[in-house]
Amino acid sequence: MISDRIKNGAYYTLLWAVSLLFFTPVAWIIMSSFKTREEILATPPTVIFTPTLDNYVELFTENQNFVQQLINSVVMSLSAVVIAVLVSFLAAFCFSRFKPKGTNFLMFILLSIRMLPGPAVILPVFLMFANFGWKDRHLPLVLFYAMFSIPFSVWILKGFLDGVSVRFDETGRANGASWFHIIFRVVLPQVKPGLIAAFIFNLIFVWNEFLFNFVIGGVQTQNIPYALAVGTYSDGGLNWTFIAALTSVYILPPMAFIYLFQKYLLAGMTFGTVRGEV
Amino acid sequence: MSETGIVIDGVTKRFGTFTAVDDLHITFADGETACLLGPSGCGKTTLMRMIAGLETPSEGRIIIDGTDVTRMRPRRRNIGMVFQYPVMYPTLTVRENIALPLKRDASLSAAERAKRVDEVLEVIDMAGRAGAFIDELDSGSRQKVAVGRSVARQTKVVLFDEPTTNVEVNAKLTLIRTFKEISRRLRQTAVYVTHDQTEAMTLADKIALMKDGRIIQYDSPATLYRQPSTEFGGWFLGNPGMNFIPVTHTTRGLESPLLAAPVPAPDRLGSGALRVGIRPEQLQAGIEPFEGSVKAEVEDCIVGIAGQLLVRLKVADETVKLKTGKLPGLRNHDTIHVAFPNEHLQLFEDGNRVEERG
Repeated sequence: MISDRIKNGAYYTLLWAVSLLFFTPVAWIIMSSFKTREEILATPPTVIFTPTLDNYVELFTENQNFVQQLINSVVMSLSAVVIAVLVSFLAAFCFSRFKPKGTNFLMFILLSIRMLPGPAVILPVFLMFANFGWKDRHLPLVLFYAMFSIPFSVWILKGFLDGVSVRFDETGRANGASWFHIIFRVVLPQVKPGLIAAFIFNLIFVWNEFLFNFVIGGVQTQNIPYALAVGTYSDGGLNWTFIAALTSVYILPPMAFIYLFQKYLLAGMTFGTVRGEV
Repeated sequence: MSETGIVIDGVTKRFGTFTAVDDLHITFADGETACLLGPSGCGKTTLMRMIAGLETPSEGRIIIDGTDVTRMRPRRRNIGMVFQYPVMYPTLTVRENIALPLKRDASLSAAERAKRVDEVLEVIDMAGRAGAFIDELDSGSRQKVAVGRSVARQTKVVLFDEPTTNVEVNAKLTLIRTFKEISRRLRQTAVYVTHDQTEAMTLADKIALMKDGRIIQYDSPATLYRQPSTEFGGWFLGNPGMNFIPVTHTTRGLESPLLAAPVPAPDRLGSGALRVGIRPEQLQAGIEPFEGSVKAEVEDCIVGIAGQLLVRLKVADETVKLKTGKLPGLRNHDTIHVAFPNEHLQLFEDGNRVEERG
């Protein structure tokens, strides 16, 4: 009995140790955001220090672009993801219910688009955006992000929708419900975990997106990853106070989001294969 | 087309190479309850789904009250449908579930809606539980609410797709009583799919007996039971089904080793295989020989409901089923005597009933 307890204790200690080890960089950057420049770079690192909010004050007040960049990030990711999830849900519903000819092939194509590395398409996309005058405009960029998020969402959501019995549709249809009612009032509530999972996955993608923002975005549409990449070297060396404060602000929203919805995230990773009887 | 009710006009439905419903012609009269009865895979559910609009016929037309609805969307057809599995809004109460579809109908005032819901709640005997949530109900009550919801809209047609399949036995009886009450009160045209003959017998004004995508016979329950048009009908209905005894046509009439005396044959007879059918409960039986009886050996004996004995007999190399309440204490290999009363015999030629026997 006692040896069991010791074993268990050792086991959990190890797990905690590994977890904390992986968390160290995050902890370091957050701690650094409350330090002065000298404290950040001190060897040995200072563990005990007087926290200061100077870095944040500087970030929000003296950095002209930051607020705009933060708003861009939030607005563009949210709107792109909302559009993507809505479109994907309807597409997945169609694939799941009407099974158009070649559904499997189309689903394969959809997924293969997602496999495509961003840099492979960056040139044609840039030319298109430049020629159509879409560069540095919010809506085209939002739609572009949505387009990039849709394939994977369709995959997630189709799995969930396949799990919702057609009995629901048929009961509705044969009793006078419109398709709109069936899709949004009867079926949608049952795939909420899938919607939230798709939402979070896409949010992480768009939130972290740098390449396309850098190439087809511009002054108006800069997001935080762009700010981070560009601002890092702004004063000659590595601007550690800027990096620390910016990163802390940057990782907070997705972390809060994931913490709140982590159970759905797990459901999403299993592609809707784990689901209750309907 | 001024005909009311549901007219099925030459409807065929094929799934790939399989023909589920084969060139059907049938009319379900206005205000009547028709049961589609038949073994699994006979096409009864497919036919119903086509009436509902959940499937489109490969050929033929479906006309409801003179309107061709073959290509019409389900919600335009003025139908309600109850399924095997009751699907409800779990977050709404019984009352709200029934009221929800009514909200689509803009011609109804709120007061009228409430009145209708009350009426339906009373018919399905759920008025006392109107405020309950669906999760709190057992499967039978849920199905009742589903029925209520489908009839509350007062559609022209209500379709029932084996609604009692997933309901336990006691609740089933209550549910059937509810169906009876509903069809008596609301006089909607109802089509009811079932594979349970007792249910069909209880509920139907007319039963359509189906097999392999075709309708074998469409008659009132009593006629269907007493005068099946085919051997299949005789065999399928009744528990157990009809006995069939091969007979030969001679100058003296119809003869068989099982029949003590030849039976008069009808005037016109073809050259097909002849068999006479008789229901197990119509056999006469006794321990001692009696007039017109033949000897029979008991092969197997099962006690049924209310002391009824279900006996498998060997009579002159034929196996015959007998249902009787008169012979208690029968044991296997006992010898008894049975007779096949003339007036109950029905003649079939090649599986089809021969009318007007002499």
